[in-house]
Amino acid sequence: MKSQSTQRNLKSLLLNSEILAVVAILMALTFFLTTRGLPMVLTILVDFAVFAIITMSLNLETGFTGIPQFGRVLAVIAGAFAVGAIPGRLLAALMGLPAGLNYTIDTVQFQVSPELTAALSGSWMLSLLFLFICLVIAALSGAGIGWLTSRPAIRLREAYLGISLLAFGDFLMWVGHNWVPLVGGSTSVFVPDPFRIFGGARFEAVVIAIFLAALLVYAYLNRLTVSPFGRALKMVRDNEVSASAAGKDIVKIRTQSLVIGSMLAAIAGGLYVIYTGTVTAMGYSRLVWTFWPWAFMMLGGIGSTAGMLLGVMVLTIMRTLITVYRFEVFGFLMAWGINPLWLEFTLMGAVIIGVILFLPHGLVPEKVQSILPASRVNSILSKGFGAKLQ
Amino acid sequence: MAPWLATGLIYASALALAAGGITLLYMSTRTFNFAHASMATIGFYVIYTGSVLGGGTPYRYFPLAFLIGGLLGVICYYGLNRPLLKRRAVEITLMMSTLGYDLILLSVIQMYCDYLTFSRRLFPRRVSMSIYDFELLGVSAATIILPLVAIVFLTALHLFLVKTRFGVAMRATIENPVLAGASGINADRVYMLAWVIGGGMAALGGAAMSMAITGTPVLGMNSIPFMFAGAIFGGLHSLYGGILGGFVIGMTEYAGVFYLSQIFGPWVLGYRMGIPLLLMAATLLIFPRGLAGIPWAALVRNLFGKKGGIRV
Amino acid sequence: MLKINKLNSGYGKLQVLYDLSIEIPEKGITVVVGPNGAGKTTLLCSIMGIADVSSGEVEFQGNSIRALPSYLLARQGISYVPQMGNVFAELSVRDNLQMAGYLLPTAKAKKKAEQMTVMFPVLKKFIDRKAATLSGGERRMLAVAMGLMKDPKLMLLDELSTDLAPIIAEKVISEVARLRDELGITILLVEQMAKRALEIGDTAYLLVSGGVRFAGKARELLNEPELCNMYLGIKQPAAQNIPSIEGSR
Repeated sequence: MKSQSTQRNLKSLLLNSEILAVVAILMALTFFLTTRGLPMVLTILVDFAVFAIITMSLNLETGFTGIPQFGRVLAVIAGAFAVGAIPGRLLAALMGLPAGLNYTIDTVQFQVSPELTAALSGSWMLSLLFLFICLVIAALSGAGIGWLTSRPAIRLREAYLGISLLAFGDFLMWVGHNWVPLVGGSTSVFVPDPFRIFGGARFEAVVIAIFLAALLVYAYLNRLTVSPFGRALKMVRDNEVSASAAGKDIVKIRTQSLVIGSMLAAIAGGLYVIYTGTVTAMGYSRLVWTFWPWAFMMLGGIGSTAGMLLGVMVLTIMRTLITVYRFEVFGFLMAWGINPLWLEFTLMGAVIIGVILFLPHGLVPEKVQSILPASRVNSILSKGFGAKLQ
Repeated sequence: MAPWLATGLIYASALALAAGGITLLYMSTRTFNFAHASMATIGFYVIYTGSVLGGGTPYRYFPLAFLIGGLLGVICYYGLNRPLLKRRAVEITLMMSTLGYDLILLSVIQMYCDYLTFSRRLFPRRVSMSIYDFELLGVSAATIILPLVAIVFLTALHLFLVKTRFGVAMRATIENPVLAGASGINADRVYMLAWVIGGGMAALGGAAMSMAITGTPVLGMNSIPFMFAGAIFGGLHSLYGGILGGFVIGMTEYAGVFYLSQIFGPWVLGYRMGIPLLLMAATLLIFPRGLAGIPWAALVRNLFGKKGGIRV
Repeated sequence: MLKINKLNSGYGKLQVLYDLSIEIPEKGITVVVGPNGAGKTTLLCSIMGIADVSSGEVEFQGNSIRALPSYLLARQGISYVPQMGNVFAELSVRDNLQMAGYLLPTAKAKKKAEQMTVMFPVLKKFIDRKAATLSGGERRMLAVAMGLMKDPKLMLLDELSTDLAPIIAEKVISEVARLRDELGITILLVEQMAKRALEIGDTAYLLVSGGVRFAGKARELLNEPELCNMYLGIKQPAAQNIPSIEGSR
C-alpha cells in the first residue's frame, strides 16, 4: 500500500538523521578528548546532562501536554534557590552555627562555609544524606511552583499563559537578586558541597552523578510516554474536547504534567547548584534557562524524548566549539574589536530559524503510536463497520 | 511635576508604542513578536549613535529609528513570517521563529557595541540618554515631547486605519483574510505594512524608553515582559487595547513604586517589576482575555441601571 | 466560462474532492447541490485558491487560474460570497461596500455603492452601522451586494439560504435569478435548499462524496426521483407544491 511504503521511506530517512547525529556527536567528543583532554569532555557531559533534564521536562509539558511553557526558568530557579537557601542553613543550624538572615553573607565571607564543608568532607553518611535532602527540597519546591503555575494554566489560553509565565520567571530572578537573605543577591551564596568527600575525584564524581540522573529521567519519561498517562497527555494536547469526552480530567492532567515537569526541572536546577557550588541569582536568566531549552527541544523534535538528548548534545557541542575555537576561527572579528563570543547568540538564533524552516519536525520526529498493532486496529475497524452496514 | 510622574509618562508612552506594535502584529499575522526586544534596543542605538556622532537632539533621529525598525520588520516578514504563514504554521512556531530572529539581532547589537567601544572610544553599554536632552517649560523636554510623539503617532495610525482606503483594507484583512482576498485586497501587502508599522513602533518605543531608563544592549530584552504584559493586558484583539494596556502597565510601575515606597520604605524599589505584573495577573485571572475581554458595555449598563433603579 | 478538469483537492492531508470535472456555461445559473460533506464548499474554496489543490486544472475564460491567490482572481472578475464570514463584521456597511469595490477607482466605487443601496434599500437605512449589528437576512443582502460591487463576470455563491427564515431564504434565492436575468451575470450557486435552487437554475451538478453523481439540466435533476429522494430530501414530484415568489413577498 502507498502509505506503508511512504512510511518505510520516512523511517529510513529518520534513522539516517538519528544515526548521523549520533556519529557526529561521537566524533566531536573523541575530537575534544584527544585535543583538549578529559576535563573538556566532562564539562560538555555535565552541561549536556543538566540541560537534558530541563529540556526533557519542557518537552513533557510543551511537547506532550501542549502547555506553552515559556517560564521554564521558574522551576529551575525554584530548585536552585531552594538548594542555595535551605539545606546549608539546616546543616548550619544542626551544627550550632548561625543560620539566620545573615547566613548567605556569612558563607561568601568564609565564616560558616568552611565548617560546613569540613563536616561534609568528613562523613560519607552525612554527605549522602545532605545530597538526598538537597534533591528532596529541590523537588518539593519545583512541585510547589508547578502547582502554582497550574492554577492560571487552567484558566488562561496559549499566548496569555506563555507570556505570564515568562514575565514571572523574570520577576523571580529579580527577587533573588534583591532579597539578600534568600540566595545572597548580587554577592551569591556558597552551597556546601556533598561531593567534596571524593577529594581529587570530586569533579568526575559530580559529572557521573548528574549524568546518571539525566539517564534516570530519560528512562522514566520514556516509560511514561507509553503508559496510559502519557497517552492521556497527548490526548489533551491534540484535542481537549475529545479527551474530556473520553473521560479524561483535563484540569488534573494539565496539573500533573506541570507538577512533574517542574519537579524535574527544579531537580536539574538543584543539581546544577551542587555542581557549581554557588548560586548567583542573576545567572538564572530566561535566555539560558527557558530559551536555550526551547531551542534544544525544537532541534531534537518536539514530542520525542530521545530527540531531546540528541538536540541538547548537538547544540552543546556546537556552543563548546564556538567557545573553544572562537579566536582561531573568528579571530578576524577582533580587528574591529568584536568579541567572537557573541557568535553563540547568532548560532542559537540561526539554529532556531533553520530548524523551523528546514527541519520542522526536528532531528527525531515524534512517532505516531498506537496501543495495538496496526493489523489488529484494522481488523477491529473492518469488523465494526461491517456490523454497522448489516 | 513630580519626578516619578515625568519619568513615568515617558516610560508609559514608550510601552504604549511597543505594546501597540506587538498587538498589531499579533492581530494581523498571529505572531507574538519576540524580536520586539532587539528592535526596541536597535531603536535606542539609532538615536544614541545619531546624538553622539551626528550631533543635535536625540529627537532628530526618531524618524530614522522608526524607518530602521520598519526595515527590520520587513526583513522578518519576508524571511520568516511569510513562508511560515504560507505553511499555516501554528502560533508557537511563529513565535519561536521571531525568537531566533531576536537572538541574531541581539548578537548584532552586541557586536556593534564592541565596535563602537573599540574604534570610536565610546561607552555604549551604559548610556543615560537624558544627558542629550534639553529643558522645556521647566521640565526635561522628553517629558513633553515623547508623550506628544506617542499621541501624534497613534492618532495618525488611527486616522490611517479609519479614514484611508488601505487602512480600512488593513482592518478588513485582519478581521477576515478570506473575504478580503476575495474582494481583491492583497493580504501580502497588508501584512508587510503591519510589519513595517509594528517594527517601527518597536524601535520608536525603545528609543523613547531610553530617555527614561538606562540604555544597555539588553534594554529591550529586559523590558519585553512589560511590552508583552501591556499587549495581553490590553487583550490582544484590539490595537487600542494594546496601546492602553502598555500605558497602564508603565504608569502602574512608576506610580506604584513611588507610593508603595513611601508606605513601606525604599526596599520596594528592588521589586518594582512585580507591581505591573501583579496587576496583569490579577486582571487576567478575573478576565482571561484582558481589558478587551471585559464586558464594558454590560458594566456601564449595570452602573446606569443601578442609578436608574431608584424606582425600587 | 469556468472549466474544472480532474480536480483533486482538500485541506492538508484530508482530501475532499476526487477527480472532479465541472463546466460552468456563460450567462446562466449553475447549481451545485448535494448532501452535507459532499465537498460543495470545498469546490468553491478550490476555485478561490483557499483549499489545497493537489492536481487538476481550473480554467477561467481559457486561462489557467489554478493556485492563483484569491486577490488576483478578484481582479479577473470572479467574486465570491462565502457561507460564513461573508461580511466584515467590524466595519460599517459603507466601508464593507467600499472594501468590496477595492479594485475600482474611488469615484466609481462610490457610485456603485449608491447603486447597491438602490438595489437593496435596506442597506441605505443602515449605511453607517457596523455590519455586526445587522440581522441574518440583512447581512446576506449586504454580502450579495458586496459580491456585485465590482461588476463580476462570475459570482460564486455559497449557501445563501443557510440560517435564514424560510420566507427570507426564498427571497434571497429569487434575487439570484434576478441577477442573471437583469444583470446577465454567470452564477455558480451552491445551495442546501436544493429544490428551489434547481427551479431557478439552468445547469445542475449533484455532488456526492467528492465526486459528480449527476450532471445536466437543472430541471432534469428534479425529474430524477431516486436521486432527489436519496441525496436531496425532495420527496414529492417537482411540479407540485412550489410556493410562488409573489406569494412570499
